Amino acid sequence: MAMQFLLVAAFGGVCYLDRTAAFQVMLHRPLVVASVVGAIFGDLAAGAQVGAVLELFYLVRLPVGASIPPDDTGAAVFGGAAAAAASSSIGLEPGNLAAILLLSVPCAEIGKVADRFVRRMNGRIADLTVDLVDRENSRAVENGLMAGITLFGVFGMMLALLFSGIGVSMARFLLPRFGPESHFQFAALLPALPLLGAASVFSCSRTERTSPVFYLTMGCVFAAIFFFRWLG
Amino acid sequence: MGGIPLHVRRKVWLRQFLVQGCWNYEGMQNLGFAYSILPALRDRYEGRPEEFSRALKRHLEFFNTHPAMAAVILGAAIRLEERVAGGEADPRAIGTFKVGLMGSLGAIGDSYFWGALKPMASVAGAILTFVHPVLGIATLLILYNVAHLALRYRGFAAGMGGEESAVRFLKEEGFAGKTENRKMIAAILGGAYAGVVASHTAYWFGGAWLELGVFLVAAMAVHLITVLFRKAVSPSEVLLLLLIIGTLILWQ
Repeated sequence: MAMQFLLVAAFGGVCYLDRTAAFQVMLHRPLVVASVVGAIFGDLAAGAQVGAVLELFYLVRLPVGASIPPDDTGAAVFGGAAAAAASSSIGLEPGNLAAILLLSVPCAEIGKVADRFVRRMNGRIADLTVDLVDRENSRAVENGLMAGITLFGVFGMMLALLFSGIGVSMARFLLPRFGPESHFQFAALLPALPLLGAASVFSCSRTERTSPVFYLTMGCVFAAIFFFRWLG
Repeated sequence: MGGIPLHVRRKVWLRQFLVQGCWNYEGMQNLGFAYSILPALRDRYEGRPEEFSRALKRHLEFFNTHPAMAAVILGAAIRLEERVAGGEADPRAIGTFKVGLMGSLGAIGDSYFWGALKPMASVAGAILTFVHPVLGIATLLILYNVAHLALRYRGFAAGMGGEESAVRFLKEEGFAGKTENRKMIAAILGGAYAGVVASHTAYWFGGAWLELGVFLVAAMAVHLITVLFRKAVSPSEVLLLLLIIGTLILWQ
């Protein structure tokens, strides 16, 4: 188990770097993160199931200017770890899946607060760098940037460790405490979650031309599935 | 004095991926930009420490744009620095050029990358995950990065051609049309995703009229959430409301 947590911390550090500080090649997206974390804890499919829903939740919050969107990478670390742990113990039935997705929200908000803190710390690094460059030390630019990247990476590793720990503990100790009736009732919330993701995509892509297309496609796909089911 | 050597250009191109490495609220990408352009400045101002120091300080001023679009400005800034070092241009032109372009490129990049390409790649990946997780992940990464990396490469090359070449590149790329097309694909895929979810939920209920009712409720739910997002309600707030409802269910 310790090895798994170490792997998650290392992978989390890379993903958090990709999120802001380096590359931005989408390694930090929830679908990728939850699937890989799920695989590290022994169930890629369970992680991907959570990741596919989480992927769309926060798309509507764009990282524009100084605004920081909720930390969906952290939510995915939590979700992937919890889903894999639940899948290998109590099973990832709809009630548990809905609970994991909803309990990932506080992680996304905690991650956002941590992100703000890192960026404030970077402000001090940048000020110090400018002072050193004023004293003709050009190497300070390289050192300052490396300090900023290290800060993002170390915080990423710590957050990944924290969220995966909470995820596994919750799946092992909290979810099994609820009875089958609670699970069934909780499962009723599940359809609302992918619809929230779809609404998030719709909000991003909404223009005069795309609005009717979205609802038309939704209706056509629904009718097609209904028709094929009716045919048997 | 010759042009910027290839190995220096390569170094700068690679360094642009760290333009947000020390993102902060005061200078935003200032340190990242200075870090990226540093090899070119060292090459241009070799043996001229005072001019080098002034050039480096120029690039430590406030800078913020979309990270992928920074490549265009970086390339053009190098070309301008070359002219300044050769005494052909006023150093103030660099600051004016950067400030003039970073806002508009930021807006174009945010709209294209965050508002169109990312949602399209995400929803395509999410749908294909139901076929196989690896297929979903690969789709997301390929759809996004083919456009992303190509733009970083071509944008930097266009910037290196000078300011006019950079502006011509931005015109020829046709970002408005590309953004509109990606948004249309995202809307189609998002609609398909919502249709599958609605159909899956309706199946629990059974009966044609009930299934139709579930579809209408799902469509209205999507519309209602979209309206909430327009009113600046965050997805976290909607999810927290659902979490409270879930907690109340468990409490019972």
